[in-house]
Amino acid sequence: MGIGSKARRLALLAGMAVCAFGMSAAEAAGKHKIFLSMSFIGNDWQAEAANMVKAMASHKSMADKVDLQVQVAGPNAQRQIQQINAMVQAGAEAIVIFPISPTALNQVVKNACDKGVKVFAYDAEITEPCAYNVHIDQEEAGRVTAEWLVKKLNGKGNIIAVTGVPGTSVDDLRTKAAKEVFAKHPDIKIVGEAVGMWSQAVARTELSKILATRSWDDINGLWMQVGCFTANSMQLEAGKKVSELLPCAGEGSNGGRIQMLPEGTEVEGATSPYAPLGAPRMSYASPPYSGALALKLAVEALDGKEVAKKTILPLPVVTNDTIKLCDEGTWAEMKAGCNAFKPSLVSNPGWFASIFSDQTPEIGLAAALVGQPEE
Amino acid sequence: MSVTSSPAAAPAATVSRLLARHSGAIIAAIVFAVLLLIVDLVSAGRLTYFDISFLSSGGATSALAAIGQTVVILSGGFDLSAGAVISLVNVVLAKGMDPMATGTSVALWTLAGIGVGMLVGAFNGFFIAVLRMQPIVVTLSTMFILQGVTLLVMDKPGGFVSPDLGAFYLGDAIAGWIPMPLVVIGVVLLGWFWLKGTRFGTALYAIGSDPDAAASVGVRVVLVRFLVYVVAGGCYGLAGVFISAQTGSGDPLVGNPLLLSMFAAVVVGGTRLGGGQGGPVGTVFGAYILMMVVNILLVLNVSAYYSTIAEGMILILAVLAGSLSHGSVLARQLRALHARLAAWRAGMLPSQIDRTDRRLRIARGSTDDQQAPHPAFHIRNAETLRYALPAYVCLAVVVIVTQIWLGRAIVNVTYWNSLFVLSSFLAILALGQGSVILTGGLDLSVPWTIGLSGILLAGMVNGSDAALAYALPAVLLIACLIGLANGIGIVFLGISPIVMTLATNGILQGVALLYSQGTPAGFSSPMLRWFMTGKVFVVTPVVLFMIAFVVFAVLLLGRTAFGRRVYGIGNSLRAAQLSGIAVGRTLILVYVLSAVCAGLVGIMLTGFSGQASLGMGDDYLLPSIAVVVVGGALITGGRGHYLGMLGGVLLLTALQMLLAGTTLPYATRAILFGLVVLGAVMALRERRIQ
Repeated sequence: MGIGSKARRLALLAGMAVCAFGMSAAEAAGKHKIFLSMSFIGNDWQAEAANMVKAMASHKSMADKVDLQVQVAGPNAQRQIQQINAMVQAGAEAIVIFPISPTALNQVVKNACDKGVKVFAYDAEITEPCAYNVHIDQEEAGRVTAEWLVKKLNGKGNIIAVTGVPGTSVDDLRTKAAKEVFAKHPDIKIVGEAVGMWSQAVARTELSKILATRSWDDINGLWMQVGCFTANSMQLEAGKKVSELLPCAGEGSNGGRIQMLPEGTEVEGATSPYAPLGAPRMSYASPPYSGALALKLAVEALDGKEVAKKTILPLPVVTNDTIKLCDEGTWAEMKAGCNAFKPSLVSNPGWFASIFSDQTPEIGLAAALVGQPEE
Repeated sequence: MSVTSSPAAAPAATVSRLLARHSGAIIAAIVFAVLLLIVDLVSAGRLTYFDISFLSSGGATSALAAIGQTVVILSGGFDLSAGAVISLVNVVLAKGMDPMATGTSVALWTLAGIGVGMLVGAFNGFFIAVLRMQPIVVTLSTMFILQGVTLLVMDKPGGFVSPDLGAFYLGDAIAGWIPMPLVVIGVVLLGWFWLKGTRFGTALYAIGSDPDAAASVGVRVVLVRFLVYVVAGGCYGLAGVFISAQTGSGDPLVGNPLLLSMFAAVVVGGTRLGGGQGGPVGTVFGAYILMMVVNILLVLNVSAYYSTIAEGMILILAVLAGSLSHGSVLARQLRALHARLAAWRAGMLPSQIDRTDRRLRIARGSTDDQQAPHPAFHIRNAETLRYALPAYVCLAVVVIVTQIWLGRAIVNVTYWNSLFVLSSFLAILALGQGSVILTGGLDLSVPWTIGLSGILLAGMVNGSDAALAYALPAVLLIACLIGLANGIGIVFLGISPIVMTLATNGILQGVALLYSQGTPAGFSSPMLRWFMTGKVFVVTPVVLFMIAFVVFAVLLLGRTAFGRRVYGIGNSLRAAQLSGIAVGRTLILVYVLSAVCAGLVGIMLTGFSGQASLGMGDDYLLPSIAVVVVGGALITGGRGHYLGMLGGVLLLTALQMLLAGTTLPYATRAILFGLVVLGAVMALRERRIQ
């Protein structure tokens, strides 16, 4: 029990009240009518991103400017097309989108632009030139992590690669960039490759399959889009010592961040494997604040400010040298350089910890957890 | 069925018969009109031609594909490859069109798309009609193969579809009056009406109603079945062309999510799963009803967390609207209840009547000592062996290939232990899903029953072993209630299993999101983790549990009255009813069993991963159906043995382990997976109709 769980319960009640009766405070004149078209809400990243967007919209600097409506399209691009059309018809001034496909929405987005609607895509890209895009450089993510792993292994060793969702641009860009780096080092051999679907649970199943015919001793390093936390747990289960954990370049989950803290660090709520292990890691992520930032930029654009069509977010990279535990997780504290959260506050190790942006002082840990903005 | 209408004038009777025959389509049309009215009333402006135009193009892809699916379902089949065909046609067009060329021929590329679809349909049709294999396995294999091929054609979104195509398909047929998508659908429907009038159309309905009867009156079952899949493939192909026109580019994943909603569209449109009744007109309305839901959620401003709940509710209500008639299941149930009450008042219930045994005594022969020879094991179980063995034979082959290719398999304890641990999830799901399939149903609520159970358990346990003592029963009890809800909806409200469980799945997803506020809290306790990942000597505890579970499952289905009833219902619902089986109660129990199995898997997955996550059950729906069918069960119910399903589980898991051990690209793996599954079930062919 802590601040987190109490706040969560309060927010749950508040959220229910708000949701049940709809945020139909649209009567208030002078507000920008903005729609958010999410893809699928049924995974951790999406839900966290949605919380942060909600928090951004309810921050005191935004609350009297924005009338935000959140809609879910599911995993179906066809429905998102339909939804965006309906939003334009309903008089949207701006639409913030998590695009299910970078290309399938082009025509409907162009149609929206033609009617003067500002369209902002977050995390993934929309290739239609009139859309605003807010995301990280996926190729850089693949390259930086691969280079770190190669350096850590001194350019020699067997590695396992766990990729994302096949057929998506994000996965393709990251994986190809990483493989280009590995190809430059002939002594680095990819001995196993699995499709991890960006999920810790899938990563575990896939790694179990690979390790059925292989032993941890034959492997020297791991390159994973999501799954380092799980891989470290599995190595401990297989009887490896904490000091023998393999270097792993992978996702920015809080569980992974906590494992990076030096072994023996005093952390409230930590239980193995969600505990400081000094695991050799590079942790990166597609940050879940991108939706909230896109909303902020959309409001700026509607207020007549100049906004760049492409906002490339800095790649949030944390290594064992830069890992630092947060005390409460306020924005100010993160600004000072902390990047991991206590398990007593964040009880789900798969939760994505890259929530800090210079540009979003409105949202901190409470925003990502329960959709509450900073003071 | 009771005759309720008094003899009326001939024309009135014709009208009422027409109404009755097309009631599904008519109800779907009415529901659609009501939804349209709601959107019109609630939204700010009046509906204009542009709104209608947007709506018509929005639902066209699913409507076209669902028409194809309807034809398959009418013939008694099932097609899981539909979504994959749409993706394939989309990338073929996006890759094949030349961005520089002007004046692209719309007709040529439309024919190319339809051709690709028909080719896939012919592939399906060959295995299903000529080799007499089960549609669900064939099309599932095709789905995997096509997903691989699609990724080989285009490994990420991109490409270019000529705007000419978009201008044609999304434009106006008559400017300001009729949008083109409606004309396209209209043309397809006209084609269907023509086809329905031919001998092929009659044969199609005949086969769907009763293939044996159709064959014995001289219908060429093989040819008709083959053509059904070709025609359906053509529809998916056209849907692929349409979505290409709509999106103007290629995306290898664009069609896959359309699959489940396609089945919902077919059922909402009044077509009966299993064949013989319904038609594509209702399906088109069904597809548009599902599409309208997006607009309704928007105008009602339903918040994100509630959207899947609202969607599930709308789906159930749309189907329930069809239950307002006199002949519906709900009305029948109410009448039956009324009759029962009256009988109870009059003291006429069977349980109230004197129940002394009045059977005739059969004179026993005196040749007691000369017993008939007991048939040998393999003769007694010939049927079961024939359907269950192929999975095990293929399993042996896969294990041997693993040994040769990767080494360390046959004599490696770790390999076998991993195989059993990874199989345990599907082995448990196979009992639940298998029992449901044996009764002729399908449980689509498995993914979020798993997800919600895992999230609830992790939240309650939160790392404490002591909490397991109450958390386990609590979670399993909730799973029971989920199954109960499914069962009640299916039995008492008469909602089709696919629609009911699909709706439940959406509602559960909403509940899981609301409970967790998007961030599932808590983690599994040390004991649960040890159970799933620890070792007793060299074996993980869950493997021992799995062995006990297999024994339990075999006994439950093979040796208990419940098991007999399940098979009885699957073989013939009517016969089961007439022989006094409490069909309703048994069906409800079957869905409860399925939900409890899914709940158990949710708990085990939480132990396995150490925590619960949203969407953790998503990858278990299609495999849970696949293993049941690969293990020799008949998708239409009545046939199958749990040991066969277990063989299916082990085979698929071993195959995935083999592929995971290689460094083959994902596309190749998907194709290989599909081919092996197809090969494995070749042996399960139906015997030729005598």
